[in-house]
Amino acid sequence: MASTACFVIVSKNDIPIYEAEVGSAPKREDQAYQHQFILHAALDVVQDLAWATNTMFLKSVDRFDDLVVSVYVTAGHTRFMLLHDSRSEDGIKSFFQEVHELYIKIFLNPLYLPGSRITSSHFDTKVRALARKYL
Amino acid sequence: MDPLRSYLGRLLLEEITPVVMVLTTPLAEAACRKSGLSVVDMLSPFSLFKKIDGDSPPRCSPLPIICPCGRRVTSPYRLQMFKIRMVYASDVRKQDYEVADQRIKPVVSEANESALPDLLSDPPQLEDVLSKPEAELCPLWIKKFNRALMRTLSFSEHETFDHPVACLLVVSSKDNEPISKFVDLFNTNQLPSLLNEGIMDPQILKHYLILHDQQDGPQEIAMNILAEMKSTLGLNDCKLLCINSSTEADGADAENSWLPYIKDFMQDLASNHIIPYMEQKIRVLNQQVATTRKGFRNQIKNLWYTFTSIESQIRVLGDYAFMLRDYELALSNYRLLSTDYKLDKAWKRFAGVQEMSGLCYFMLDQSRKDAEYCMDSAFSTYLRIGSSGKRNATRCGIWWAEMLKTRGQYREASSVYYRVSNEEPSLHSAVLLEQAACCYVLSKPPMLRKYGFHLVLAGNSYYISDQKQHAVRAYRNALFVYKQHPWSYINDHVHFNVGRWYGVLGIFDVAIKHLLEVIACSHQSLTTQSMFLNDFFHFVQSMGKKFDVYKLQLPVINMPSLRVIYEDHRTYASDADVNVSESIWQELEEEMIPSSSIVRTNWLEKSPDLRKYKDSCVCVVGEAVKVRIELRNPLQIPVAVSCISLICQLSTSLDASSAVNSVLTTGAGEDIANTKPAISIFEDDGNNFTVSKLDIVLGGSETKSVQLEVTPKVEGILKLHGIRWTLSDLLVGYQYFEFDTKRKTKKGKKGPRRTLSNTLIVIKGLPKLTGCIDHLPTNAFAGDLRLLKLNLRNQSEYAVKNIKMKLSHPRFVIPGDLSEVDFEFPQCLRKHVQSEISTVSTKRTQGDAKGLLFTFSQDIKIQEGATFSWPIWFHAATPGNFSLYISLYYEMESPSEITYRTLRMHYNIEVFSSLNVSFAIRMCSSRLKEYIVRMDILNRTPSESFILHQLSCNDSKWAISSLPLCDSIRSIETVSANQSVSCFFKIKDLGTNSCKEAENSSCRSDMLFLSREGNSNTEEFDVSQSPITNFHYQERYQQGRLAKGPRDLLDFILISKAVGGNYSKSDPDVQLLSHHVCHCSAIDQSPIWWFMEGPRTVTHDFSKSYCEANIQLVIHNSVQHNISARVVTYDSVPDKSQTVNLQDSNSNQGGWYDVSLENDIKAISTAKGTHYQKQPSESISPFVWCSLSSAQVDLKPDTSTKVPLKVCIFMPGTYNLSNYQLQWKVHSSEVGQVDENQRSGGGQGHPFYVTVLQDA
Repeated sequence: MASTACFVIVSKNDIPIYEAEVGSAPKREDQAYQHQFILHAALDVVQDLAWATNTMFLKSVDRFDDLVVSVYVTAGHTRFMLLHDSRSEDGIKSFFQEVHELYIKIFLNPLYLPGSRITSSHFDTKVRALARKYL
Repeated sequence: MDPLRSYLGRLLLEEITPVVMVLTTPLAEAACRKSGLSVVDMLSPFSLFKKIDGDSPPRCSPLPIICPCGRRVTSPYRLQMFKIRMVYASDVRKQDYEVADQRIKPVVSEANESALPDLLSDPPQLEDVLSKPEAELCPLWIKKFNRALMRTLSFSEHETFDHPVACLLVVSSKDNEPISKFVDLFNTNQLPSLLNEGIMDPQILKHYLILHDQQDGPQEIAMNILAEMKSTLGLNDCKLLCINSSTEADGADAENSWLPYIKDFMQDLASNHIIPYMEQKIRVLNQQVATTRKGFRNQIKNLWYTFTSIESQIRVLGDYAFMLRDYELALSNYRLLSTDYKLDKAWKRFAGVQEMSGLCYFMLDQSRKDAEYCMDSAFSTYLRIGSSGKRNATRCGIWWAEMLKTRGQYREASSVYYRVSNEEPSLHSAVLLEQAACCYVLSKPPMLRKYGFHLVLAGNSYYISDQKQHAVRAYRNALFVYKQHPWSYINDHVHFNVGRWYGVLGIFDVAIKHLLEVIACSHQSLTTQSMFLNDFFHFVQSMGKKFDVYKLQLPVINMPSLRVIYEDHRTYASDADVNVSESIWQELEEEMIPSSSIVRTNWLEKSPDLRKYKDSCVCVVGEAVKVRIELRNPLQIPVAVSCISLICQLSTSLDASSAVNSVLTTGAGEDIANTKPAISIFEDDGNNFTVSKLDIVLGGSETKSVQLEVTPKVEGILKLHGIRWTLSDLLVGYQYFEFDTKRKTKKGKKGPRRTLSNTLIVIKGLPKLTGCIDHLPTNAFAGDLRLLKLNLRNQSEYAVKNIKMKLSHPRFVIPGDLSEVDFEFPQCLRKHVQSEISTVSTKRTQGDAKGLLFTFSQDIKIQEGATFSWPIWFHAATPGNFSLYISLYYEMESPSEITYRTLRMHYNIEVFSSLNVSFAIRMCSSRLKEYIVRMDILNRTPSESFILHQLSCNDSKWAISSLPLCDSIRSIETVSANQSVSCFFKIKDLGTNSCKEAENSSCRSDMLFLSREGNSNTEEFDVSQSPITNFHYQERYQQGRLAKGPRDLLDFILISKAVGGNYSKSDPDVQLLSHHVCHCSAIDQSPIWWFMEGPRTVTHDFSKSYCEANIQLVIHNSVQHNISARVVTYDSVPDKSQTVNLQDSNSNQGGWYDVSLENDIKAISTAKGTHYQKQPSESISPFVWCSLSSAQVDLKPDTSTKVPLKVCIFMPGTYNLSNYQLQWKVHSSEVGQVDENQRSGGGQGHPFYVTVLQDA
């Protein structure tokens, strides 16, 4: 069954700095904006939840029809958001944690300006590989 | 908050009220119709009763104090508000959903029209939304819509609050036999199905009304009928109502005089009949329920509930209690029912009861949890039973959401709205989603992103249900949410849809404004891009006129790429030359031009007004100022961009211009953009300047650099403001240049060329030369020699004079002589018999590292419109990539602001390696002043062949000749690709006084290679003539910088021709190549020459005595100092292996080795006698030196001396008389003039073979 999974990294000033459709469902043009809408709207919920818990992984914070938004908030308030329809919470958690490590590596790059778009193709490949592994 | 005062409370008080079923005769209807109303319409306005004040007069507070509940003792209470719903009997039925929905639609569409003017205003901002009170957040019609939506559920089977409590029968006084009409009216056939099918009790309260229009006759008739009715139908239940359909006379008071009657009638109906009836019914039912429920549970499962069933009666009891505000009673009954229905699995009824329980909890303001639980279970139960429960679920949801809103739980309310919206058709869902969105704003803190998202969802649903105005309204309300954040797809979606819908509504300007935001979306797919673009163009066309768009994003203008190219006293041969760094030019022109500061003051001093433009650039009337800028197409679709031109302004009077200038400069650069001066000002200024227009088509994702020109026609101040273009012939985009002032000052120090200033001073026309070097190759083989032509053209009206030229690479390009202009190449290079020895002009030899300055003769002037040619020699000196810079200086014939100008030319040349030529020179050991030369030639080209044509020495004191026995090497002619060739020849130093010898044709400084066919190569080139000698001079200079040591002897010039091969076929110009190898020196050069002279063959009779051979050692001093030389002879045979090693270490080049004749010796010995054979192997030398073992001679400069030597030979054989050493010492008069290494030294004797034969 084709699954939907849209992964977005949102910087602390609410700008998406990385976007990837990692689901097995074929990408559709009209879905791209729908996914953005859902994820963007979920930021409101994240804003509330992020300060109410100590954990980085906020589990599923929002849903829209049968799509669920899971969020992971880093210490710098960068948000990893995954829009998905599968239910494996453990997998999502592992996915987020490993992406966090990748993200930190990006962050360590002295040429990377924090809050700017992540254009590294290496990062992209790694994230997609992780998505295949865990999601 | 008091639930009754809340919106939901009022809603319930108004909607869940007793229903009075109205039955009328046609005549009664007709009577009312005269006033334009139906009976129900007439009565309805008076069906709402309010308690105005606690101490109000009886008429105004008609509602009785009631105590409906007999079971419990509660204090009687007064109804604050009471409403009766008047409904025609024909309407008392369950409505078809589709019909009902059709009725709702006008509620939405009506609001459409009112929404239209709002759409023209600016969309709301964040502050607007947050500051709005709750009531205004959602449009008012939405409440109306909600009610209408709920009303579609009226008269359902499972709820009883819609069941008529009473029946009002209306008969007109004009009817015949009114009494029987009353009876006929309540004929069961016409009654609603609810009553007929046993769902509700047909035994309801009946009230009879006789309607009398006073226009139809005196009131007495009606009074009579009333009396008759009262006797027949019951005393209390009959009423007379008088109306007056008259519209004229009597005035307004008279007309309205009958209204109080209606009011009175309705009050009487409510307080004296309906409420008491309901109270009575409650008491009876309560009694009944109490007794029934007390004894036994109703065990019989009913699949079909009639009004007689106990469940239905409890429900009626609950609903009546609810309508009379006894919520406690109602709640207890509902709870009783809910367990029963649950057991019976009558889900719809269960849900209905739960819903009512929830409302009871709410009205009692008791447990919120219970209320929510009830609403939730009702909602989900309705949803579970499928399509029949959907609308009920909606109503339940709306109530639930209102309940949550009352309690401030906006987030929960909005999620309820969202859930409800999923169950409804698109139009309803749109309205519900909009309410959900509003809830998000009201929640604390406001959830604006959710608000935006739900508005977008609502907008979509509106659009699907063909409510475009509402769709636009919803989207534009959401715009501010998405304004700042670059969520690309969201932005595109919102702007595109808003734009498109505005377009559909015919508001094109706003539509285009929004579509402009999305047309440059590079991240979208091709289809989406074309869709955006097509819609955009469609609306632009619909506008019907061209209009200007500031900062149009299609194509994208790359502002940092902006370059302003103008020519003041510096002019350029081609536009590419402008990119060359100014410092290169300045360095090149340093010697040629007058000091720049003098030039500046010259024209600036004249007009003090211009002084403030000191930093501005200068351009000339009639000469185009060029602006180069990059345009990028962000889309994958090709776009046609036409009429690209500059927006300029040329102010002729200085005062006016300074005023404009001050305005523009005082405001920051941003302000210029914001104020957006109308472009039309600049457009038609054709008198002062002309601008070029350019049309291009940008392919998908293509970037093109365009060059725009503006040509001023009069003097003044020219300002470059921006660029404008027409997109697809439909609309005009324009953008202002962003001139960064900081950058300007920074760059200004470096040189004024690339300052990004938009202000240019236009000065009077000046002469201008244009020119180029014709046919200068972009790539060539090393050694390529050509004659080119420098063409200059004076396009202006004035003559120019005093022309000078500076060349950066005199090694590559050398100006020729005017006489050479008509020469035919390469014939002109041939050696002429009477070739005048042209002395190299001194001016040409001024070349140094910085370049060569060439001054044309003073009388050369280029007149107006004239062209001028000058020969230029080109020689590809060495492989590599080279940039040639040529700057031409000229002065004006007429006085002008600028006294001189320069023409700058820049060429890039790639030179490929062709032949690698190297020479190895050895002193000849048998002759004085002769050298053996090996020439190694390697063809480095992949596919070219070269014919060796001529080898020359630079100086006529050298004579080249082939080796006497190796004449065949001269036939080596063609060197094909990758071939390596070596050939040997000798050169002879003829000395300075050897001109006579030079005339001998056999001893010449040039050697021609023979062609294969045997016919001699007659084309001999004169290397002592220009330009070869000039180039040779340069080569000598360049190679001399690399060469170490002063031991250079001579230079060679190899002239070859290219034949065949890919390159030369395509370019027949490659004819002649000259390779210069300079500073060649002999490998083993020493200050002295020496060699043996003597007989080579001696015949001697060894039987008599040993043989004595007299030989001489000739020693020559070739340096300009005194030398003392010492000859040492020794008798031991030199160690062969040592010698070989010495040779190897000296030069390990192939081809050079000592030819030992030892084998030959053996051969001769073998032939002559074997007994001699052993001799050489013995340590005893076969010969000994005699006469002396050491001799010292002093040699004057350039003299020779002979040292006589004698050798004694003891047996026949061939002997190598090289076992002597020569030691020499230079006596230098000046210390340091001679290299330390050469101050003293020594050398082994050269091999000298003497064959001694036995005399027979």
